Amino acid sequence: MAGNAIDQTRRMLSLVTYLRERPGARVADVARAFGITEDELIGDLDVLPMCGTSFRGGDLLDIDTDGDRIWWHNPDASGTSTGEPLRLAADEATALLVAARAVATLPGLRESDRQALVRATAKIETAAGDTAAASSRLSVTFESEGGVFADVDRAIAERRRVWLRYYSPARDELTEREVDPIRLFAVGHTYVEAWCRLSEARRTFRLDRVAEIRLLDERSDPPPVEPRDLSEGLVQPAAEDPEVVVEVGPGGRWVAEYYPHDSAEELPDGGLRITLRTPDPASLRRLALRLGRDGRIVTPPELAESARDAAREALAAYGE
Amino acid sequence: MAIAKAERLMNLALCLLGTRRPLSKRELRTSIEAYLEAFGPGHGGTSAPSDTATGSEDAFNRMFERDKDDLRELGLIIETVESVEGDIGYLARRDSNRLPPITLDVEEAAALGVAAKVWQQARLAGAASGALQKLRAAGMPLAEDAYEGHSALEPRIPAHEAAFEPLMLAARDRRPVTFDYRKANSARAEQRQVEPWTLECWRGHWYLAGWDRDRGAERVFRLSRITGRVRSRGVPFTAPVPDHVTVRETVETWAGENATGTALIKVRAGHGYPLRARAIATRDLGDGWDELEIPSGHGLDAWLVEFGPDVIVLGPAELRADVIDRLRAVAKG
Repeated sequence: MAGNAIDQTRRMLSLVTYLRERPGARVADVARAFGITEDELIGDLDVLPMCGTSFRGGDLLDIDTDGDRIWWHNPDASGTSTGEPLRLAADEATALLVAARAVATLPGLRESDRQALVRATAKIETAAGDTAAASSRLSVTFESEGGVFADVDRAIAERRRVWLRYYSPARDELTEREVDPIRLFAVGHTYVEAWCRLSEARRTFRLDRVAEIRLLDERSDPPPVEPRDLSEGLVQPAAEDPEVVVEVGPGGRWVAEYYPHDSAEELPDGGLRITLRTPDPASLRRLALRLGRDGRIVTPPELAESARDAAREALAAYGE
Repeated sequence: MAIAKAERLMNLALCLLGTRRPLSKRELRTSIEAYLEAFGPGHGGTSAPSDTATGSEDAFNRMFERDKDDLRELGLIIETVESVEGDIGYLARRDSNRLPPITLDVEEAAALGVAAKVWQQARLAGAASGALQKLRAAGMPLAEDAYEGHSALEPRIPAHEAAFEPLMLAARDRRPVTFDYRKANSARAEQRQVEPWTLECWRGHWYLAGWDRDRGAERVFRLSRITGRVRSRGVPFTAPVPDHVTVRETVETWAGENATGTALIKVRAGHGYPLRARAIATRDLGDGWDELEIPSGHGLDAWLVEFGPDVIVLGPAELRADVIDRLRAVAKG
C-alpha cells in the first residue's frame, strides 16, 4: 500500500538516525521506542541493507541484526550527513501540534500534564519554525465537564469505585448506580467506560450527563475486559437488535448524520427512508416527537403509536 | 519482483541527503537500483534510443517527480539547481534539512505520546507517529509508563469524512476547492466554490470555514454534508486568510447554543434533567410540577417537544405556538 510505503520510508529515515547513536541497540527497545512491532522493525532492517547512495559503490548501509541486537558496521559510508535528525514535515508538525493543543484544552486535565503539554508544544513550534504555521489551519475542541472529569480521573488513579447520578436521555430520568471506572476517553464529548455494578455489564457514560458524582471508599474491581475499539464508532448495534424504519422529509435528513444506520434510501420528495437498529426502540420516541412533520416512524408500529399518544397527552395539557 | 517503493524512496532520500553537489537526474537514475531495474540507464546508455526507450523515459520522469513529491511530503527540502551549462541537478542540503536542537524531558515526552495517539485519520495518525519517531531519533526520552501519574485519558479525534483529507491539504496549500454541498434541510446538493481557510472539529464533527466565491461571503460547511469528490485547483488563492475565523460561534448558533432570550416552562417533577441543569430560575409549583426559566435560542421548540407531556411551555406565546404546532403534526401521525 502506498500509504505504508510513505510511513515506512519516514520511519526508516528516523531509524538510521537512531541506530547511528546507539550501536548494538536491542530489537525490543528500538521497536518500543518507535511504537512498532518487532516484526515491523525486522522488516525495516531487511530493507535498509539495500539502501545507500549507490548500489554499485559498495556504500550500502551495512546494518544487520542477530534478532536480539542491531549493528551498523559502516555508519560513515553514505556521507557524513546520513543519520542527522531530520526536520519535521508540515503534516507531522500539524498532526502533533493540533492534537497537543486540543488535549491541553480538556477541562479537568491534570495541571502537571497540561503544563508539560504546553511546554512541549512551545518547543515543537520553535523546532518546526515556519512549518508550524500550517497547523493553524486545523483546530479541535473537546467537550468535557471539568469537575466530573477530575473526579473520574482521580478514581481511576486511586482505584476507587464511584457513585453516579446519571441522566438517561432515552428514558428522560436520572438513575443512581455504582460503577468501577476503567478508562476515560474523548471523541467529541468525553466519556468514562466503566463496569456498572447495577447491570453487571460494561457501560459507557457521557460525562456531561453525570448529574452528581461521589468517590466511594470501596476498591474498584472491574472484571478484566477488552477495551472497546473506538475506531468502530461509539454506537455499535448488535445484529439481533430490533429494526426501526424512519421516513423523513428533506427537513429531517439530519437524522442520517446523527444516527448510525444500516441504510438510507433516497425518496422521490427529497427525503430519506432510514433503517437502523437499536436494543431499545422505545428510546427513539424522543426522535419521533422531535421530527414533527419532518418525519415519521414506519416500524415498529408500537413506537409510532407511543409517540402519537405522547403528543396527544401533551396537547391535552395545553387545552387543545 | 519489482523493488518496493519504500526502498526506492529511501535510496533517493539517502542520495539527495548524502551529496554535497547537485546530482543530475541521470546520475540518480543510474545510482538507484529500482530506477535502473525498471527503466534502464536511459539515453547515453548502452541501448539505442527507440520508441520504447522514449516511453520508458517518460515513465521514469513521472516516477521521479512523484518520488520527489513524496519525499517533500515527508519534510525533505529538495533544491533544484541549474548549473552554468544549463544542467539541472538536485540535492537536499544538510543545513536546511536538519532538525534544530530540541530537548524534551520525560514529562513532555509522555504528554506528546498521548497527543500523538489521538488521530483516527490515517494520514495524520501516520504523520503524528512519524513526528514522534523523528523526535525520538533526536534523543527524546521514552516514558516508561505513559499513564503512571498522568491523567488516565484517551482523547480521540475522529475524521471519517471523505472530504477531510483533500480539504486539509487544500487549506494547507491555499488552493481553492469545488464540491457539491447539501444544506441541512435541502434534498439536492449544490456546487460550491470555496477558498478554504480552516477546519475545525467540534463535538466530534468537522466543519470548514472559508470564502464562498459565488456568494462573496464567509461561510461554514459541515463536512458530512459534502457529497461526492472535493476537487482542488492548482493555482493557489492569494486573498488573505483572516487570523480569527468564527467557526465555533456559527456552529453553536446552528445548534441553538446561543440564547437570544428566555422561556418559561413547566416541567414534571423528576423529568427534564438537562433543562433543569441550564435553568436560570426554578420554582416548585407544589403540584408535582416545577416552573423553570431557561435560555431560549434557535431550535428550542424542537428540543422541548422531545419531552412530550412532561414539559409545557408557558411563554413566550410564539414558542408555545411552535411547540403546539409540532405536537399536532406528531399526533396526526
